Amino acid sequence: MARVAVNTEAPDFALEDFRGQTVRLSDYRGKKHVVLVFNRGFM
Amino acid sequence: MAQLRQDYPEFVKRNAEVIVVGPEGPEAFARYWEEERLPFVGLPDPEHVVLKRYGQEVNLFKLGRMPAQAIVDRDGFVRWIHYGHSMSDIPSNEELLALLDGLA
Repeated sequence: MARVAVNTEAPDFALEDFRGQTVRLSDYRGKKHVVLVFNRGFM
Repeated sequence: MAQLRQDYPEFVKRNAEVIVVGPEGPEAFARYWEEERLPFVGLPDPEHVVLKRYGQEVNLFKLGRMPAQAIVDRDGFVRWIHYGHSMSDIPSNEELLALLDGLA
Protein backbone atom coordinates (compact mmCIF):
# COMPACT_ATOMS: atom_id res chain seq x y z
CA MET A 1 0.00 0.00 0.00
CA ALA A 2 1.21 3.50 -0.82
CA ARG A 3 2.78 5.31 2.06
CA VAL A 4 3.52 8.93 2.65
CA ALA A 5 7.17 9.93 2.72
CA VAL A 6 8.74 12.34 5.17
CA ASN A 7 9.73 15.80 3.90
CA THR A 8 7.25 15.68 1.06
CA GLU A 9 4.10 17.70 0.75
CA ALA A 10 1.29 16.11 2.74
CA PRO A 11 -1.53 14.84 0.51
CA ASP A 12 -4.41 17.25 1.00
CA PHE A 13 -7.84 15.96 1.85
CA ALA A 14 -11.28 17.26 2.67
CA LEU A 15 -13.65 15.44 4.99
CA GLU A 16 -16.76 16.47 6.85
CA ASP A 17 -16.40 16.39 10.58
CA PHE A 18 -19.16 14.75 12.59
CA ARG A 19 -20.93 18.10 12.84
CA GLY A 20 -21.06 18.36 9.05
CA GLN A 21 -18.38 21.01 8.65
CA THR A 22 -15.83 20.47 5.91
CA VAL A 23 -12.27 20.30 7.18
CA ARG A 24 -9.36 20.49 4.76
CA LEU A 25 -5.81 19.74 5.73
CA SER A 26 -4.79 22.77 3.66
CA ASP A 27 -6.98 24.98 5.89
CA TYR A 28 -4.13 24.83 8.38
CA ARG A 29 -1.38 25.73 5.94
CA GLY A 30 0.45 28.85 7.01
CA LYS A 31 -1.36 28.76 10.34
CA LYS A 32 -0.81 25.67 12.42
CA HIS A 33 1.07 22.42 12.61
CA VAL A 34 -1.17 19.38 12.44
CA VAL A 35 -0.87 16.12 14.32
CA LEU A 36 -2.77 13.53 12.29
CA VAL A 37 -3.94 10.51 14.24
CA PHE A 38 -5.22 7.50 12.34
CA ASN A 39 -7.13 5.25 14.61
CA ARG A 40 -8.38 1.78 14.41
CA GLY A 41 -11.46 2.53 16.39
CA PHE A 42 -12.78 3.76 19.67
CA MET A 43 -11.81 1.21 22.24
CA MET B 1 -7.58 9.42 23.20
CA ALA B 2 -7.94 10.27 26.87
CA GLN B 3 -4.19 10.91 26.99
CA LEU B 4 -4.44 13.18 23.97
CA ARG B 5 -7.23 15.10 25.65
CA GLN B 6 -5.17 15.47 28.80
CA ASP B 7 -2.18 16.91 26.95
CA TYR B 8 -4.17 18.86 24.38
CA PRO B 9 -3.24 22.25 25.94
CA GLU B 10 0.41 21.34 25.37
CA PHE B 11 -0.30 20.81 21.67
CA VAL B 12 -2.17 24.10 21.50
CA LYS B 13 0.78 25.83 23.16
CA ARG B 14 2.94 24.60 20.30
CA ASN B 15 0.54 25.99 17.73
CA ALA B 16 -0.62 22.55 16.67
CA GLU B 17 -4.06 21.12 15.97
CA VAL B 18 -4.85 17.47 16.57
CA ILE B 19 -6.97 15.79 13.90
CA VAL B 20 -8.24 12.27 14.46
CA VAL B 21 -9.32 10.32 11.37
CA GLY B 22 -11.11 7.03 11.80
CA PRO B 23 -13.20 4.50 9.88
CA GLU B 24 -16.34 5.01 12.00
CA GLY B 25 -19.34 6.97 10.79
CA PRO B 26 -20.39 10.42 12.03
CA GLU B 27 -22.81 9.06 14.65
CA ALA B 28 -20.13 6.96 16.32
CA PHE B 29 -17.77 9.94 16.26
CA ALA B 30 -20.37 12.30 17.73
CA ARG B 31 -21.21 9.86 20.51
CA TYR B 32 -17.59 9.22 21.39
CA TRP B 33 -16.63 12.90 21.27
CA GLU B 34 -19.48 13.78 23.56
CA GLU B 35 -18.85 10.95 26.01
CA GLU B 36 -15.15 11.67 26.22
CA ARG B 37 -15.50 15.46 25.88
CA LEU B 38 -12.72 15.56 23.29
CA PRO B 39 -11.54 19.05 22.34
CA PHE B 40 -9.87 18.24 19.02
CA VAL B 41 -11.08 17.66 15.47
CA GLY B 42 -12.72 14.32 14.66
CA LEU B 43 -13.12 13.26 11.05
CA PRO B 44 -15.19 10.22 10.15
CA ASP B 45 -13.75 8.50 7.09
CA PRO B 46 -16.08 5.56 6.51
CA GLU B 47 -15.01 5.34 2.84
CA HIS B 48 -11.39 5.09 3.97
CA VAL B 49 -10.35 7.81 1.51
CA VAL B 50 -7.79 9.48 3.72
CA LEU B 51 -6.88 6.33 5.57
CA LYS B 52 -5.89 4.73 2.27
CA ARG B 53 -4.14 7.82 0.93
CA TYR B 54 -1.90 7.87 3.95
CA GLY B 55 -1.31 4.17 3.73
CA GLN B 56 -2.66 3.11 7.08
CA GLU B 57 -1.83 -0.53 7.33
CA VAL B 58 -4.50 -3.17 7.48
CA ASN B 59 -3.34 -6.35 9.09
CA LEU B 60 -5.83 -9.09 8.43
CA PHE B 61 -4.15 -11.42 10.86
CA LYS B 62 -4.35 -8.90 13.65
CA LEU B 63 -7.94 -8.09 12.74
CA GLY B 64 -7.87 -4.55 11.62
CA ARG B 65 -6.08 -1.33 11.10
CA MET B 66 -2.85 -0.49 12.75
CA PRO B 67 -2.52 2.92 14.34
CA ALA B 68 -0.55 5.61 12.52
CA GLN B 69 0.41 9.19 13.32
CA ALA B 70 1.88 11.98 11.24
CA ILE B 71 3.09 15.49 11.90
CA VAL B 72 2.42 17.99 9.13
CA ASP B 73 4.14 21.32 9.62
CA ARG B 74 2.68 24.75 9.04
CA ASP B 75 3.99 24.71 5.45
CA GLY B 76 2.04 21.55 4.67
CA PHE B 77 5.01 19.18 4.67
CA VAL B 78 5.09 15.81 6.37
CA ARG B 79 7.86 16.08 8.97
CA TRP B 80 7.37 12.78 10.69
CA ILE B 81 5.22 9.72 10.24
CA HIS B 82 4.87 6.55 12.22
CA TYR B 83 3.12 3.40 11.08
CA GLY B 84 2.32 1.18 14.00
CA HIS B 85 3.07 -2.52 13.76
CA SER B 86 0.72 -3.46 16.54
CA MET B 87 -2.26 -1.95 18.32
CA SER B 88 -0.07 -0.74 21.15
CA ASP B 89 2.62 0.69 18.85
CA ILE B 90 1.66 4.31 19.48
CA PRO B 91 4.19 7.05 20.25
CA SER B 92 3.81 8.91 23.54
CA ASN B 93 2.56 12.46 23.71
CA GLU B 94 5.99 13.44 25.00
CA GLU B 95 7.51 12.16 21.78
CA LEU B 96 4.99 14.05 19.65
CA LEU B 97 5.47 17.25 21.66
CA ALA B 98 9.25 16.98 21.39
CA LEU B 99 8.91 16.62 17.61
CA LEU B 100 6.71 19.72 17.51
CA ASP B 101 9.32 21.57 19.58
CA GLY B 102 11.86 20.65 16.92
CA LEU B 103 9.92 22.29 14.10
CA ALA B 104 11.18 25.69 13.06
